[in-house]
Amino acid sequence: MSDASRRGLLPSGLAGGYLEALAPAAAVAPIPLVFTGGASLRVILLYEAALLLLWWRARRGRAVRLPDLALNLAGLGYFFWLGFEVSVLRHGLLRSVTYLLLFTALAKLASLKTAGEARTALLVLFLLTLAAASSSTHYSSLFYFAAIALLGFRTLARLAVLADFSEAPPQRVLRSVPTPAVSAAGLAAAAALCAPLFYGLPRLKGPYAMAPFRLDDGLTTALTADRVDLESFGAAKRSDRVVLRLTTAPEDRPRVVRLREAVFTVYRDGVWTRRPSPGRGETYPSGSHRGREPVRIDLALFAKGFLFLPYGIDSVRLEAGRSAYVLPDGILQATSGPRNVRYEVGLGRPEPVRGIGASAIDPRSVPPEIAEYAAKLADGETDPAEIYRRIEERLRKSFIYTLDPPAPRGDPLVDFLLRSRAGHCEYFASAAAMMLASRGIPARLVTGSYGGELGLFSNSIVVRGENLHAWVEADLDGSGFSVLDPTPPSGVPPAATRGSLWKRLAALGREVEFFYDRRILGFESLDQQRFFDAARERLSGVAGSASEWKGTLSLPGLRRGFLAIAGAAAIAILFREWRRRRQQVPAATRAYLALRRLLARRIGHVSPATAPDEVARRLAEALPGADDDVRSVVRLYEASAFGGRDLDAEEEQDLERRLHRLKKLA
Amino acid sequence: MTRLIPDWEIRITNFGLGYILMCLVVAIAATNTGNNGLYLVLAGLLAAMVVSGILSRRNVRAVACEIEAVGEVVATRPALLRVRFENRLRAGTAQALFFLHEGLPGPLWIDPLRPGEKREVLVEGAFPRRGIVHRPDAGLLSRFPIGLFRKYRRARLPREIVVYPFPEIASVAEAPPEDARGGRPHASRRGAGFDLRMLREFAPGDDPRDMHWKQSARMRRWIVREREAERDRAVVLTVDNALADPEDPAVLERLERAISRCAGQALVLLARGGEVGLQARGVRLVPSVGRAQRSRILEALARLPAIPAAGAPDFPPLRRGDHRVMVS
Repeated sequence: MSDASRRGLLPSGLAGGYLEALAPAAAVAPIPLVFTGGASLRVILLYEAALLLLWWRARRGRAVRLPDLALNLAGLGYFFWLGFEVSVLRHGLLRSVTYLLLFTALAKLASLKTAGEARTALLVLFLLTLAAASSSTHYSSLFYFAAIALLGFRTLARLAVLADFSEAPPQRVLRSVPTPAVSAAGLAAAAALCAPLFYGLPRLKGPYAMAPFRLDDGLTTALTADRVDLESFGAAKRSDRVVLRLTTAPEDRPRVVRLREAVFTVYRDGVWTRRPSPGRGETYPSGSHRGREPVRIDLALFAKGFLFLPYGIDSVRLEAGRSAYVLPDGILQATSGPRNVRYEVGLGRPEPVRGIGASAIDPRSVPPEIAEYAAKLADGETDPAEIYRRIEERLRKSFIYTLDPPAPRGDPLVDFLLRSRAGHCEYFASAAAMMLASRGIPARLVTGSYGGELGLFSNSIVVRGENLHAWVEADLDGSGFSVLDPTPPSGVPPAATRGSLWKRLAALGREVEFFYDRRILGFESLDQQRFFDAARERLSGVAGSASEWKGTLSLPGLRRGFLAIAGAAAIAILFREWRRRRQQVPAATRAYLALRRLLARRIGHVSPATAPDEVARRLAEALPGADDDVRSVVRLYEASAFGGRDLDAEEEQDLERRLHRLKKLA
Repeated sequence: MTRLIPDWEIRITNFGLGYILMCLVVAIAATNTGNNGLYLVLAGLLAAMVVSGILSRRNVRAVACEIEAVGEVVATRPALLRVRFENRLRAGTAQALFFLHEGLPGPLWIDPLRPGEKREVLVEGAFPRRGIVHRPDAGLLSRFPIGLFRKYRRARLPREIVVYPFPEIASVAEAPPEDARGGRPHASRRGAGFDLRMLREFAPGDDPRDMHWKQSARMRRWIVREREAERDRAVVLTVDNALADPEDPAVLERLERAISRCAGQALVLLARGGEVGLQARGVRLVPSVGRAQRSRILEALARLPAIPAAGAPDFPPLRRGDHRVMVS
């Protein structure tokens, strides 16, 4: 034993081992703080450089060990620096705490004298991890969690080994633990267990950090739904934030490319609004969607909470605990609640697409410049289809699609038609709708989305801000409002398609982002309630299936017989397994365990560490007259369990008799 | 004897206690703030605790550890022990294992055992007292995977280990002269005494010091002296193992010293070629010679129990011509 060991200090080699074990986790733990504003890049680089130096010295077998005096001076110096930082520099609480933790971690790692100090360093690193984890909102945090879990497992496993060494172990010792296979299995198991724990832990408060896209002002302004501003729509289309994700069967994908959100019929000075609702509009059945796979939509609500719905649906079903107002023209508005809503819609039979409702732009509200423009374009033509063809042709051939139209002078729509001739989809759709209305054709503006990105692993389509779109619904032939899209092809968002490998990888990133955003960062008590409700429903479903299954008992004799045989076989297998396991335990051990149970019943609790002789003594005290039997059982147990002696049949019978007597006595 | 290794036990470590405390702290922080990052950390901590329990259970319980003595084992003296390890897992390397034995200066690191791998190591251990060891104070220890718990598993003995008493060499009682023994018939036997028994040709194994050089020169063959046993005597060493208070440590210690002395005397007498027997209350070994008798005496001494004086049996009677020596 070295001199250092005798004084309770870690030998230099062992301190180096601790440092080598701790360094990788220490290097990764604070990294996210750079991105969350918890620490400046310069400080983190300084910290990493110091850590690298310590690690390098430890690898060379010359671990740094600062003397106590140097440590005390450094601590005192940092104390004054902390005062200066808090009162003058005012970095904020998170930064001050982070810097203090970084300093402490380095100080501890540079002066590992005892195993206890290594544990303290580990605690500081854990606190750094907590600070990083609790302040991170980007989905890349998931990769950080994975990395820190891997490194943490490795570090803890090595520290656990070092705890039983009093001298520096050979290099092979630390390298052999943990083996990659066990690490992978352990981490996979922990991850699998972590998921239900995360979702099952009780939530009493709303999430501390909300999903970033929920705070997107551009989107919020654009998607107020009962009011659309021509000028703000372009900003919304530039956003790559996720609006919704839908899942549907591949064959139904073409039918969900276009999602209808709101209908507008009143235009004034560049702003579309809806007429005040006269009452309830058409409703959708809300029953189950029998016959075909429903379209499942997970929508982030903005402002008024209008739902995006495909054309041609025959039912809508919102998640438990949520409801929606039914407005005219087939529009649904979710009631207030969590800021994302999940719902399912059933697609009806494939029929020509028609918009629901009868609202249309009042021809008298069309600005005279637009009406005059339309009249010139129509040139006496009265056929609505031909009029629309001419409008569409003019818009596509003489106008430019851009998300940055020039600043309008006067009415933006008039300016678009007569002067700038440049705008985005809402300009095109608004102009077409107004011109149709001015010619006496029932028409209206519709907003919603078009296209999206296909998920990598699932049949999901992610709709982002750039997929927001506007088009026209017009009744050209008296058969109802059909969908007309006058926007030039360059302005129509691409329909959902799978792309190259790179695009697929990008799609994977989006899936992760969406998952982190919705399922982790924004997970809250209502989500949890829904989760449990869904689980309860599933259980009810299983119970229902079981009660249906009971009916199969009345099936013909052959099936009943088969079920009976299968049941009997299952019971026989279970019984055999039970017997096999029972036989693995020697008779003497079984008897001894029975003794322990007897004692536990008498005195309340028997610690697993209670030795057999102690069990015998206490049971003999508790059961007067049982001394001989108790000691015999314990003796046979010791001979069997620790002497490696097998009991013969006579001894086993004797054991049984004694145990029987003891049970009667007890 | 301090028990280092329980049969099978899990003990929480200080680090484990700290870990549980940190779980509580994070749980309170997560509940108070609603921070899902903290919930994620908490879920990870709890999951790690469960996985750690399962992994460490598999890691230790799946490894069989057997100990066998190599050669004789004498109390307080280093003895060679063969330790066999076998990983019975079909999948999964058993790792971070230490072998513990009270005779070792510290835990002995065992390199990871691959699935199904068997390994033998020789260790030098010491047993502090004579006796029969059914349950070795040795076994496996592991804190794997993350040091929350220490798990122990006692080693198995395929057969008991007999720990001979440490032979304390004290003055050896002289056997009385032949004529004082009642004329017990005896034949002079080969031995290590001083009297010459005969001359004969050298045979492998003979001591070169017994070479008769003159006769060898005369006969031009190697001739050795064969000596008689120093004396032909039968000594029955007797230890009184009946104690007034068998629980009294001081009395027990005196008995142990008597047993050690007895072992020492027996070894000396047997080495001189004498016939030695052993008696104690309820124990009787008739005098004999050779290595087999040596083992019998040492084993009997190793197994000799302390019994209460009240009701203790008398010493067995001596054979005619045997000479009893009380060892105390």
